Amino acid sequence: MQILIVEDELPLMESMVTYLEMEGFKCEQASSFHAGLCTIDKHDYICMLIDLNLPDGDGLELVKLARQNQSSSGIIIISARNALEERVKGLSMGADDYLVKPFHLSELSARIQSVARRTRTQGEEILKFGVIRVMPEERTCFVNDSQVELTRKEHDLLLYLMSNRNRVVTKESIGDYLWGEYGGGYGSYDFIYTHLKNLKRKLLDAGSPDYIQNIYGVGYKFTLE
Amino acid sequence: MKLLTKTTLYIATLSLFLFFIMGIIFFHVLKNMSIAELNRDLTGIQEVVDDIFPHFLGGQLTGLPGLDSISIEQARTGMDPSDQFGDTLMYEARTNQFRTYRYLQFQVEHGNVAYTVKLFKSTTPADQLVEKVTLMMTMMVILFLAGIFFLNRFIFANLWKDFFDALEKLKQFDTVKEPITLGEPDVEEFMELKKVLERMTLRLSSDYRELREYTDHTTHELQTPLAVIKTKIELLMQSSNLGSGEMQLLQSINTSINHLSRLNTTLALITRIENQQFTDRKEINLSAMVNDHIEMFQELIALREISVETDISDKEKVISMDMGLADIMITNLLKNAIVHNEDGGRIFIEITDEVLRISNNGPSLKFNEQDLFRRFVRDTKKTGNFGLGLSLVKKICDYYGFKLSYMHENSLHIFTIQFLS
Repeated sequence: MQILIVEDELPLMESMVTYLEMEGFKCEQASSFHAGLCTIDKHDYICMLIDLNLPDGDGLELVKLARQNQSSSGIIIISARNALEERVKGLSMGADDYLVKPFHLSELSARIQSVARRTRTQGEEILKFGVIRVMPEERTCFVNDSQVELTRKEHDLLLYLMSNRNRVVTKESIGDYLWGEYGGGYGSYDFIYTHLKNLKRKLLDAGSPDYIQNIYGVGYKFTLE
Repeated sequence: MKLLTKTTLYIATLSLFLFFIMGIIFFHVLKNMSIAELNRDLTGIQEVVDDIFPHFLGGQLTGLPGLDSISIEQARTGMDPSDQFGDTLMYEARTNQFRTYRYLQFQVEHGNVAYTVKLFKSTTPADQLVEKVTLMMTMMVILFLAGIFFLNRFIFANLWKDFFDALEKLKQFDTVKEPITLGEPDVEEFMELKKVLERMTLRLSSDYRELREYTDHTTHELQTPLAVIKTKIELLMQSSNLGSGEMQLLQSINTSINHLSRLNTTLALITRIENQQFTDRKEINLSAMVNDHIEMFQELIALREISVETDISDKEKVISMDMGLADIMITNLLKNAIVHNEDGGRIFIEITDEVLRISNNGPSLKFNEQDLFRRFVRDTKKTGNFGLGLSLVKKICDYYGFKLSYMHENSLHIFTIQFLS
């Protein structure tokens, strides 16, 4: 569960490390292009987070090298630039995902897990949480042994919550992750509430305990407690 | 009017005026000189006539060399006895024409009888001379004007060459490109012009580059601290010993940070468009793109129970523009139509070869219609809205030469983009 983070902004690096370590990842840190070069081969990373703007080199070069060296690792570009051409360039260099600063840590975590699933998993992976089992590849969900029919968005929402279990997840982060530009945007996250209500009802109906804890005015927490 | 035409016109007007005045003066001077010459001749003959007057009386002499005609008669009483010059017309039977003559009239006393003598001399030879000289003058003027005309062309082709070169290069100058470099003119003024132009374009190019870098850096530099604040707040939220009040404080900071970051991104985008940094053009199928976006907004549309009707012509409308900008343009227009709609409202989308028209229901504008596309103009009651979406659309339309307009008709807000070629 090793992750490499190449980021020159140290406070941001610390935040990412703290959050990801809470999730159970081990983080290798590199604060420059050069340090990144030295650590690229150190471990068999499940995912590499690479900042494009590094003081001593172009992050894209690092992406290219990382792709050559570790073909089975996921690569996520972290950049302050939100231009389509940069995004396309990054992805064509071999990155799996592109995250624009500032981002939600919960979104980062969900994306790492999603990339890791895509690049690492051999065969069908089963995610478990309490009595819930989810097979992301097939988009199926079981409570105990009975299958629950979920819509695409409800499924994505469940996966997102499971990726950030025991964490407070804000409404904004859910909106940004699942809908991006096409969500409320103008401070309206009402439709998230609708989806969450439906998901919650379907899980309860299938006999699951209520894992979704509502934190008033802030968001939600997916927890066994 | 072209510089060459204007110069030629000025020179021609002035020359014609001057030549006209000069011509009149010249004509009069010449005329007076010829009259004086005739008078002198006639006075000379008068002296001869005085001396040999009896010969004329006797009829032995009827004329003198240099004299065309002479008349002698007894002076009538009361006539002015002094010498008088004058002009007169006389009929000439040979040519059947009246001709002008200069005459000198004087009195001669002979044997106590006073006689009036008139000496006539034709002015025709002198007039012919004046005529010929005038004709030659006119020909010279015409030749001179033609000369000026061709000289002007020559001067323009050679002397002003550097100027026109500079003008041509200046026309093609673009802040995105390199500053212009001009040849070495041998005219001092053009040398100065060259220096000024080269300095100015160099300045423009470097200013533009600096502005671009500045914007780029500012956005980047702002996004990073925002990212730090945002992640720290998210970490803080994970502490188990926070009460509901603290959580909501954090959330409120979080929301503001999100706004700030979105604002920053949008402003940077507008600046990038203003700086003309989008030069990559792709052929985009507008109809397909609009349909895709409606699909993407389905959640939001369903939530507000809005019905969307499309009227898209069979012929696919293809526009040539940057992919990202096209995406932003459509997203913002649709989002605007959804967010400022009313629950259960409607959206009409029409695409033809000339226009993209999006109309929606919704409450009337809370501000002036003219301010609709200006930055930060918004309905202040709606939170989280910057009033940047439509100004961004306007900027994109301006950039590609599309005409964006707004109308309010039958309680519908109608936004139209006209694709002018």
